[in-house]
This record gives sequence, structure tokens and C-alpha cells, in this order.
Amino acid sequence: MSGMWVANGLSQDLPLGVVMAGAWQGAELAIWRSASGRLSAWNDRCPHRGMRLSHGFVRGETLSCIYHGWAYGTDGACSKIPAHPAMVPPAAIKAEVYQCVEAEGVIWVAPAGSDVDLPDLSGLAAVRSVTVQAGLAEVAHALPGFVCEGAVWRGQLDGAAVALVVQDRGALVRIHALGTGDRVKVSRWLDGMMRLAEQGVLA
Amino acid sequence: MIPQAVLNEWYPVAMIALVGPRPGRQTQLLGSDIAVFLEDGQIVVQGAKGQRLAVTLRYGHVWACPGTPAHDLFPIPEADQPGRRLVDCGVVRVKCSPLRAVENFLDIAHFPFVHTDVLGAEPHTEVGRYEVQIREDSDEVWATKVHFYQPQAAKSAAGGIVTEYMYRVAAPTAAVLYKTCPNQPDAWDVIGIFVQPLTEEFCEVWPWMALFDDTTPQADLIQFQQMIFLQDRSILENQIPRLLPLDPGKEIPTQADLTSIAYRRWLKRKGLTYGAQMVAA
Repeated sequence: MSGMWVANGLSQDLPLGVVMAGAWQGAELAIWRSASGRLSAWNDRCPHRGMRLSHGFVRGETLSCIYHGWAYGTDGACSKIPAHPAMVPPAAIKAEVYQCVEAEGVIWVAPAGSDVDLPDLSGLAAVRSVTVQAGLAEVAHALPGFVCEGAVWRGQLDGAAVALVVQDRGALVRIHALGTGDRVKVSRWLDGMMRLAEQGVLA
Repeated sequence: MIPQAVLNEWYPVAMIALVGPRPGRQTQLLGSDIAVFLEDGQIVVQGAKGQRLAVTLRYGHVWACPGTPAHDLFPIPEADQPGRRLVDCGVVRVKCSPLRAVENFLDIAHFPFVHTDVLGAEPHTEVGRYEVQIREDSDEVWATKVHFYQPQAAKSAAGGIVTEYMYRVAAPTAAVLYKTCPNQPDAWDVIGIFVQPLTEEFCEVWPWMALFDDTTPQADLIQFQQMIFLQDRSILENQIPRLLPLDPGKEIPTQADLTSIAYRRWLKRKGLTYGAQMVAA
């Protein structure tokens, strides 16, 4: 699964001008949305002194590192080094860029160059993300009747389609829920599912 | 295996004023348990096997050498200068390499972003050319003629000024800076950070000051330094990797980083690699 897409949250939870931490497999990422709405996902490390870019700040179409204010454009290239305002940063200073797209309200990340298709979630609408303090096995146990296709679990809730996009983070699982039916109903059902999965850990 | 060159250096392990009788301060040095305590009026640093380490008491702190001291502890002549107030600022525990903590202390370009509106502020972000040398006589790294605009350079500063700095790496985990003194233009304020390497990725930072400032209450001076170092901690605990990379290529410096470049080169040349990453991962 070298180039697979990994869900990293819902579009609704990453507003304009905000950066958040994410992950692709073992790699830690900074995922951010520019003022105009462009999404980017990079290795969570400023090339200058290794500071996490997810602690940085967004100004317009750039993400700046919080340590020395080095600014990077949406292509990952460093556009400004505040310690040397007159200098054009060398092209070699570049964040490590991942592919980052959103579809049906889900933010997806894959390594640059990957040409794997995105899972098809058409017709579904994003509900919310939850973090379950359990492993993948306990989550699977709490989803009787659901069918797993890669990172997506599909099932029904009172006749309406539900899809859970699962992001395995080792000791915990992030679940991004989508559905066709009543969002409040899906949300309440999620709470129950989480409790079941977390009780599974204790049992 | 810890290189002998590392073992033969001096490291801060306690504040003199806080050392009490056994069991005293139970702590670590270079990954080994040590205890610092008073015995018959003497301060003792004892290793896990009961061995006694070489001890020097200086600059408000207890310094220990786990090997055979290669030299005396570095001098800070200003510590004995009449009229200066010596201030022990306590300790900040930081989950980072002791070398990263020192390197951050040598860095000015972060002031506007990490110590915003105190030690720096946008748009005054430029770091002009300054001079760096590894002094062969004292075997220290020095940076001189460093200038930077600061909104509130010290507790005693009323407004923004251009501060001149000199930086000095006096030991692998100890550095001293000299900065324009707001109260006495012909003298320098002296601030040290003494870093205790608990392990390669965990340290305790002891700031220390020798100032011309008769008016600011002690608590305010300490609170100011603590605020600065807590802001630095938010950076230091989020650098990847935690160890300081000594091989070029892993991180990209610019002209503003000349002091850091010299510090890394000096560490590598002397084999002071505890807390360093040698092979690019």
C-alpha cells in the first residue's frame, strides 16, 4: 500500500488560514489551508532547524515556521527568510510536499507521485470526526454488519448509507464519518459505537 | 559508550543555594544517576556506584566532572566585578538534547517570533552580518558585533532599543551572552545558561545572570528569565530530530546561523557528541 490515500480529517474542521498536525503512515505532517482555500500537506519539519511546521502560522498563501518565521508558498518552496529580508531564498529550501485533496468533505493525503484512486464516497455527506481510544480490532468489533474496503467501512443505519473512513494511529483510531441520512442520528450512533469499542479494550 | 572527551568536561548539576543534606538532589548526569548533597559542610556529587565526582562551585552552581577534568571550569571575570548582582534563576526542564538548548540560546533570529514584543518584533527581523570565531587560546566559540532591535531588551528597559550582543560557548553545555546594559551604556549585562545533560534527549537548563540593576526586584528578574525560557521550551520540545544533527545537509543554515555553524563544528572537532546525531537519518 505504498502510495495509498490516508484520510486526515474533514474539510469543515480545517478553516481558512489554519494549520493542523496530520500523518501519513509513520510520517508526521503539517496540513494547512491558505487564505484563498488551497490545501497543502507537508512533512512536519522546517528544513532550517527541524521545527514542526504544524506549530506555524498561515498568512495569506504562505505557511510560516514559528521558530524563525521562514515562509513557504503552497508549492512548498521557501519564499521568505525574515533574518535576510533582501535575499531570495535558494530553491533548495523546500518543504517535503505530499498530495492533498478533498472529496465529499474528507481531506486525503498521499505521497507525491502516487497515482492510486481515491475511495469513492460520492453521494455521502461529512458528519464529524471522532477519536476512539482503541485499536482497529476493537473498532471492527463494534461495527457488526459493516463491510471493510481498505480504509473505508460501509454499512447502513435505519436504511441510510453510512461510511466510516478510518485512520489507524496505533493506540487510537481516528474515524471520519459520512452518511446520507440524518446527521444527528449518525452522530449519536457514533457515540455509542465509540463506547462499545473502548469497552472492548477494557474487556 | 560515552566518549572520554565528553566525560572529561564540567557540567552543572545543582544550584549551590539549594543543596541540602542526604539524600540531597537525586538527579542524572549523562544518563547515570547521581546525588548532590551536603556532607560535613562540603558539597558532594556522588555517582551510582558510590564514587565521588570532581566538583567545582562557581557562578551559583555546582559543577561536576564524571571523568578526569581536562581543564579548569571556564572563567567569567564579570562574576567578581563589584556592583554586579548575581541572580540564580532556577531551573527549566526541557525534553530536548542539551546541545539544542545551547544552540537556541546562541540564536537571535527567533526573537521576533518566539519572544514576540519582548526580545524582538516584526518588521525588525533582519540579522546583520556579525563575526564568529573559534578562539584557539581559550578553545571557545565567540560571536561578536551582533546587533538586534528589541522592544524590551531587559526587565529594566523602558522601550525599544538596538541591543548589541556577544555570545560565547564556554563549555559543551554552557554558554554566556553579553548584551548592552540599559542602565549602564559602557558595561555589559551577562547572562549564562548552564545546561545539565540528564540524557541525550532530556536536560535541565539553569539560567544565571550578572547584572547592573539595583532596582528591579529579584522575583521580577527571575520571572522575566523564566518566561523567556518557557517560550524557548515550546520550540525545543518540537524540533525533529530531538538530537542535534552535526552532519551538514540534515538542516539548512543561513548567514544568521554562523554561531550555530561554528558551535556544531567545534563540537564535532572535539568529539563532544553526547546529544548529537552524527549520521543523517
